[in-house]
Amino acid sequence: MTNSENAVLDNERLVWMFTQMLRIREFEERVKRTFEDHPGVIRGHTHLADGAEGSIVGSLATLEPGDQLLTTYRCHGYPIVLGTDCKAIMAEIYGRRDGLCGGYGGSMHLADPERGFLGTSGIVGQGIPQATGAAWAAQIRKQGQVVLCFFGDGASKQGAFHESLNLGSLWKLPIVYIMENNNYNVATRSEQEDANAAAGEPLSVKATAYSMPGVTVDGGDPVAVYETVGAAVKRARAGDGPTLVESKVYRLSAHGNLIAPPGVPLHYPEHEAITVFGNREEYEAALRGDPVPRFRARLVEDGALEADRADQIAQEVRDEMEAAVQFALNDPFPEPEAALQHVYA
Amino acid sequence: MAREIPYIAAVNEAIALEMARDETVLFYGQDVAPSDDDELVKSFGRERVRVSPISETAEIGMAVGAALAGYRPVVELLMAEFMLVAMNQVVNEAPRLRYMSGGRVKVPAVFKAGYGFTAGWAGQHTGSIYGMFMGIPGLKVVLPSTPADAKGLMATAIRDDNPVCYLMHYLLVLEHGDVPEGEYLVPFGEAAVRRDGGDVTIVATGWTVGRALAAAETLAGEGIQAEVIDPRTIAPLDTATILSSVQKTGRLVIADQSTRHGGASPVIAAEVAEHGFSSLKAPIVHVTAHDVTVPYSEPMEAFVLPNEEKIAGAVRQVLGEAPVAA
Amino acid sequence: MQLDARAASELLATMWRIRCFEERVASLKRSRQVHGLIHLSIGGEGVAAAVCGQLRDDDGVYSGHRAHGHAIAKGAPLDRVMAELMGRADGICAGLGGSMHLVDVEHGFLGATGVVGGNLPLALGNALAARVQGSDAVTVVFFGDGAVQAGHFHESVNLAALWELSLVFVCENNGFAEFTPRSAHTVVERVSDVVGPYGFERRTVDGGDVPAVYEACGELLAAARQGRGPMLLECLTHRRRGHYEGDQQSYRDEAADAEWERLDPIARLRDDARGHGWLDDHAIGELERAARTEVDAAVEFARASPFPEPEAARRLVYAT
Repeated sequence: MTNSENAVLDNERLVWMFTQMLRIREFEERVKRTFEDHPGVIRGHTHLADGAEGSIVGSLATLEPGDQLLTTYRCHGYPIVLGTDCKAIMAEIYGRRDGLCGGYGGSMHLADPERGFLGTSGIVGQGIPQATGAAWAAQIRKQGQVVLCFFGDGASKQGAFHESLNLGSLWKLPIVYIMENNNYNVATRSEQEDANAAAGEPLSVKATAYSMPGVTVDGGDPVAVYETVGAAVKRARAGDGPTLVESKVYRLSAHGNLIAPPGVPLHYPEHEAITVFGNREEYEAALRGDPVPRFRARLVEDGALEADRADQIAQEVRDEMEAAVQFALNDPFPEPEAALQHVYA
Repeated sequence: MAREIPYIAAVNEAIALEMARDETVLFYGQDVAPSDDDELVKSFGRERVRVSPISETAEIGMAVGAALAGYRPVVELLMAEFMLVAMNQVVNEAPRLRYMSGGRVKVPAVFKAGYGFTAGWAGQHTGSIYGMFMGIPGLKVVLPSTPADAKGLMATAIRDDNPVCYLMHYLLVLEHGDVPEGEYLVPFGEAAVRRDGGDVTIVATGWTVGRALAAAETLAGEGIQAEVIDPRTIAPLDTATILSSVQKTGRLVIADQSTRHGGASPVIAAEVAEHGFSSLKAPIVHVTAHDVTVPYSEPMEAFVLPNEEKIAGAVRQVLGEAPVAA
Repeated sequence: MQLDARAASELLATMWRIRCFEERVASLKRSRQVHGLIHLSIGGEGVAAAVCGQLRDDDGVYSGHRAHGHAIAKGAPLDRVMAELMGRADGICAGLGGSMHLVDVEHGFLGATGVVGGNLPLALGNALAARVQGSDAVTVVFFGDGAVQAGHFHESVNLAALWELSLVFVCENNGFAEFTPRSAHTVVERVSDVVGPYGFERRTVDGGDVPAVYEACGELLAAARQGRGPMLLECLTHRRRGHYEGDQQSYRDEAADAEWERLDPIARLRDDARGHGWLDDHAIGELERAARTEVDAAVEFARASPFPEPEAARRLVYAT
C-alpha cells in the first residue's frame, strides 16, 4: 500500500483498486459456489461482501503500514486486500489445518495481526469498543498509526456504538468509525429499527451526539470512499479525533447462508428484499448498480484501463481463487487433539 | 522485607509497581484518578492512566482491543455486578479470541472489581457471581483473601497473557497484613494451606477464609483440628492440593459466599467426588449463601450469608457429631 | 401550566417533606440506624416535586440510585420509606430492598436501581405497555448525566423515538457522575445535545427554578398525554452532598458550592411565593413544621416496627 497523502489516484492505483475489488468478488463467489459444488465442505455461517467491494477497497487504500483494523463477521474482503494469502483464508473457511487461524475460527473469525487485521467479533457491534481500545494503544505509541473500525448499520443501535464513539471523541483517538450501511440488519430494514432512518435521515447524523464529524458517502464508488475515508484518516492521524463515515452499500447476497441443523444442506437463499419484503425491483436495481462492473466501465471509459487488460486481470483473479479452492479442498483437517491448544497464551 | 499494610493498599502497590516495570500497562476506569494530582497520573501520565465514563461495554471492550494491540490494560470496574452489563465482552470476546484465531492473538487484560460487600449495599451490589466466570475457557478468576495475596495475585494477573477477572473482596479492603516490599508474585493455580489439621478439610474462598479460620479456632477448643485451604484462584483451580488434603482428613466442608449452585463449591465438590471418592468418610457439605438475592435489612442479610458458626456446624456435621439437617 | 398559589403551596410542602426526610436520614446514617449505601436528594427536591406533582398514580415513574425524593414526591408514604431505610419489617419493601430499591406500585413509583441507567429500558417497557393498552398514562424515567454515556441509554432512546412512546426522560444533570465531573466523561456538555439526532421534544431548565421546571414539564406532559413522545427534560441541578453519605467530596470546588447555596430550590420557591403574595411567612413556616412533624412520626413508626425475621430472607424469591 502506498502513501495516501496525495488524494489524486494515478492509473496504477486505480487499476490496483479495481483488481482488489475483483479479487473480493471472485473469492466470495467461490465461497458461495462451494455450497453447490462441494456440499458439506463449509459448515456454519458465512457472510459475503459482494456489493461492498468499493467501500472495502476505497477504505483500505488509505492505510499505511502499521495501521490497524477490526471488522465484523462479514470479514473476508479485508484480509484479501491486505495481502493475506487467499489459500489460507479459504482453508480457514473450509476448517482446514492450514487455514488462516488453523481452523479454529472459521469464516466469522479471521485475523491477520501481522498485517494489521486484529480480528473480528461475531456479535453485532462488539468490535467497536475493541477498535477504540486499539486506537488508544496507537495514541500512546505516537507512531502516527490509525485504526479503522468497520461495522454495519445494525450495530449503530447497540450500546457499544454509543459508548465507544463517546470515548473516541472524548479522548480524540486516532480512529475512523466506518459504518457500512446496507440498509438491512439481517432481515430487518433500517427504517423498521432506526429512528433516524425512519425519519429519512442519513445515519451519519448520529455523530452529532458525540461532537464528531459525520459524513455519508456512496460506498459503491471506491474513489469517493477513498477520498472521504482518506480525509478522516488524515484528521485522525493529525490527532484531531474520530469521524463517523457512513458508507452506503448494497449487499448482493442474503445476510448469510441458510442456518440449519447438521444434515440439512446449506445454501445461499435469495436476498431478504425478495424473500421477506417481496421487493424484487429493489434487488434488481441494485444488481444494475453493481459497483464492480460499474468501476470497470468507468476506468475503461476514462482510459485508465484497457478492456483487454481488464479481461486479463479477471482471468488471473479467477485462476487465483480456483487455486485457493483447490488448496483448501486438499488441505487436511487439523488433528482433533489440536482443539486443546491455544486456550491460554 | 514485609510490613503491614491494608489489602487495598497492597492491590494498588502491585498496580503501581507493574506500571513502573512495564510501560505497556494501562490503568483506567470509573473514577480512576480523576485529578491530575493523583500519584499514578504524576508517575505515568494521562496517556496510561485515565478516567472513563460509566460505559462498561466500551470500557471492557477497549481493554480487549488495547490488549490485541500489544498493551496490558487493567480496567477498574468497581463492582463485579457491573461486569454483567458487558457480559459479552467478558465471556464471549476476551477469553475466546485467542482460541478462535488459532493462537494468533492474545488478550492480556485484567478486569478488576470488588465483590461481596455485605454491609447493606443491597441486592444489586452485593453478589458473589464469580461462578459465572469460572467455567469459561480462556478466562482466569482470582480471589485474593489476604493483603499479600492481593498484591502478588495482581502482579501475576498483569503479567499473565490471558484475560483475568481479578475480584477483590470489599469486606477485606481495610484488613492489614504482612506484605513483602518490591516485586512480589503469587502464582495462579496454587492453593495456600492456611492452617494444618488432620480431622477435616475446609476449602474457603475470599472473605470466608477468615471465617473458616475463626471456626477452626473454635473447633480446636473442641479437640477438632481443621485444615483450611484457600484456593486463591478458582480458575485455574488447584485440585491437587485439595485432594491431597482430603486424602489425609477424609472429610470436606466447602465455604463460599456465592449461592449454592452459583459459586465455586459445586465444582470443587464434583472434583473431589470424582477423584477423591475413596478418601471420603462422609458426604461433602457446602456452606454457601442461601439461594436468594442478598436482602437489605441487616438481620436478613446476616442470615443469608455463610459465617463462622455455620462453618463450624458443618464441620461437626461431617464429623458425625451433629444431626444431618432434614 | 404556570404556578399558582395552590400549586406553589403543594410543591413547597413536598419539597420540605423531602428535605426534612433526607436530613433526618443523614443523621440516622451517622448514628448507624440506617445502614448501607445511601444517596440523598438534597438539592434535587424541586425537580422531584415539580415533575411528580403533575403525575397521576397510574403514570409510572422509574428512578436511579438517588430515588428517595422521587418516591416521596410520587406519593410513597414517609413512614414506610423510613422503615425500609431502617431495615424494618414494615418497610415499603419489607426490608428486602433498601435505599436503592424502593418500590411503591400503588402510587406508580415502579422502581429504583443500583445500576446507573439500569431502569431506562424498564421505563421503555412501561411506556410500551401503556401504548399497547391504549392508555394515556405517561412514563417518566429519572436518571443522572452519568447514565447518558451508557449504552442502554442509547438503545432506549432509539427505540423510544422510533416507536414514539409517551416516555419522558428527565435528566438531572448535576455535572458529576460518582466522583468525576462530566467533562471527564464526554465532550458533549448538554444532555439535550446527545439526543439531538433523534428529534426529541426537549427542554433544558435550571433544576433549582421550580416554576420553570413545573412549566416545562407541564408542557411536555400535555403532549405526552396526547400520545406524543418521547421527550427529554434536562434539569441542571446541584448535588449538595457527596455522591453517597460518607463521600469526602475532595473533588468539589468551594466557590461553586457557595454559589449554589443561594440557589437552593426551597429558598427560591419560598421567596417566589412570598413575592407573588401566595404565601406569607406564617404559612411557609407551617409547611416546614408540618414536614418535620411528619418525618418525626415516620421515624417513630420505623423504630416501632420490628426487624424482619431472618428466615423471611428466603421468601419472595419466586412469584408463585
